[in-house]
Amino acid sequence: MGGLAVDARELGKWYVVNENRFRSTLSEKLGRMITAPLRRSADAERYTSPQAIWALRHVSFQIEPGKIMGVIGRNGSGKSTLLRILARITSPTEGSVMLRGRVGALLEVGTGFHPDLSGRENILLAGTMIGMTPREVRRREDEIIAFSEVEDFIDTPVKHYSSGMFMRLAFAVAAHLEAEIMLVDEVLAVGDEGFQRKCKAKIRETALAGRTVLFTSHEMDSVRSICHSCLLLDRGKVLRQGGVEECVAEYQRSLAAS
Amino acid sequence: MSAPLQTYLIRPAGKQSVIDLREMWQYRHLLATLVWRTLRVRYQQTVIGVGWALLQPMLLAFVFTIIFGRLAGIPTNGQPYPIFVLSGLLVWLFVAQSFNTATISMVANSHLITRIYFPRVILILAALMTALVDFVCAFFLLVLMMVWYGIGPTIGVVYFVPMLALAMLTVFGLSLWLSALNVAYRDIGHVMPFLVQMWMFLSPVIYPSTLLPPKYSFLYALNSVVVVIDTSRWAFTGGPPPAGWMVAVSCAVAAFLCASGYWFFRRHESTFADIV
Repeated sequence: MGGLAVDARELGKWYVVNENRFRSTLSEKLGRMITAPLRRSADAERYTSPQAIWALRHVSFQIEPGKIMGVIGRNGSGKSTLLRILARITSPTEGSVMLRGRVGALLEVGTGFHPDLSGRENILLAGTMIGMTPREVRRREDEIIAFSEVEDFIDTPVKHYSSGMFMRLAFAVAAHLEAEIMLVDEVLAVGDEGFQRKCKAKIRETALAGRTVLFTSHEMDSVRSICHSCLLLDRGKVLRQGGVEECVAEYQRSLAAS
Repeated sequence: MSAPLQTYLIRPAGKQSVIDLREMWQYRHLLATLVWRTLRVRYQQTVIGVGWALLQPMLLAFVFTIIFGRLAGIPTNGQPYPIFVLSGLLVWLFVAQSFNTATISMVANSHLITRIYFPRVILILAALMTALVDFVCAFFLLVLMMVWYGIGPTIGVVYFVPMLALAMLTVFGLSLWLSALNVAYRDIGHVMPFLVQMWMFLSPVIYPSTLLPPKYSFLYALNSVVVVIDTSRWAFTGGPPPAGWMVAVSCAVAAFLCASGYWFFRRHESTFADIV
């Protein structure tokens, strides 16, 4: 039985591209419904056929508990869509994913922060939003503040922070989230070179702490050094899945070919 | 050693199960934090602070007393107009504020919806809870007035809390429908404040419900706010209690709105991040 941590089957996600053009207000929609019989057939075609793309199609993969899978691919390959589906921000059009364990998503920094509240208050706010309980947040508060290096300004409203300070604090909160399944986008590593190194080290530490991790990155060195397996996406489809070296090689080949 | 891991199956929208109370319970901390955030931010930079929750009903009661109580002379079945209108205003302001906030809550929090997962209904609950806190603060004004006029509470007090719950359920049900629709059709959010104003005139805030001809009673009962305000007046200002059958109709309306609203909301919830 042994249970996979993540079991994705035939995931597909379909987006309508020009939806907003004919859906934004109720009055417009009603108006269109009423004039429908009066419209000539050429016009009718234009309005009733939405343009759609498959951001993901037939994507299946499994991750065993405690293993780290790297997801690589060019921009537009569907990596973000995949993460958003796994983080339950959006739902798939077809397929399913079985998740065993709490999911923590580190996809963007600064989510949940409110400009008028102090750094300390925002730690509680953002921490609760990404899934920590207030008790967990309070326990880690000192660690978070120390990691962020904004101790002196921790009680001033964050709207007065420089963008660097803000990102450091935001990353510090996110990095201390603990969940059985972690979704990490390496784009998170922010700030100047020194802090970026700290971020990457922390990401690596999180990943190697025995959790199941789905890690997206554009840097093959990171992928090689921490991932057990790899998934290569191209235009929404799985191009290759399995060992890290083969996927990275294929990826680099496709980059060179274009 | 470790507790059993929670399992979750992600499926396309429409195939997910609708009721998930256990998940709501897990996110209770987020609800409390969101309410705290709204109150903290609201009073962060104002001199008046908490006083704002008292200032609004007080000023409105004052203006209404002069215009509708004195100048227009609306009959109130013997209760002094100031306390008559305040008891209605407290309920009404709770309904209006929670409703206005909840209807646009999905769009107003789009930055959260597109980046984190949490049951979106929490945003509506947060709007309700915040308005409830304001209600409790303003309630002390009513108590002061009762002391001033020497009016004691009646047995209606026992029914007031369930009636307030009825008002909350009505707002909750309507908000489920409208907040979801507002994500796709933004003009709903613009029209709402106007409709809420109309709703106020259709409720016995500035006039007593006894002013209405009996043949419209059934239609009137469809507006759940009516029986809640009547109960408030019965409990705190010595007015007559609402008719039992009207309460029943209002409860049925609220129940229908909640059930249908929840189904509609959960069905479309996972598309919010794509279109908001």
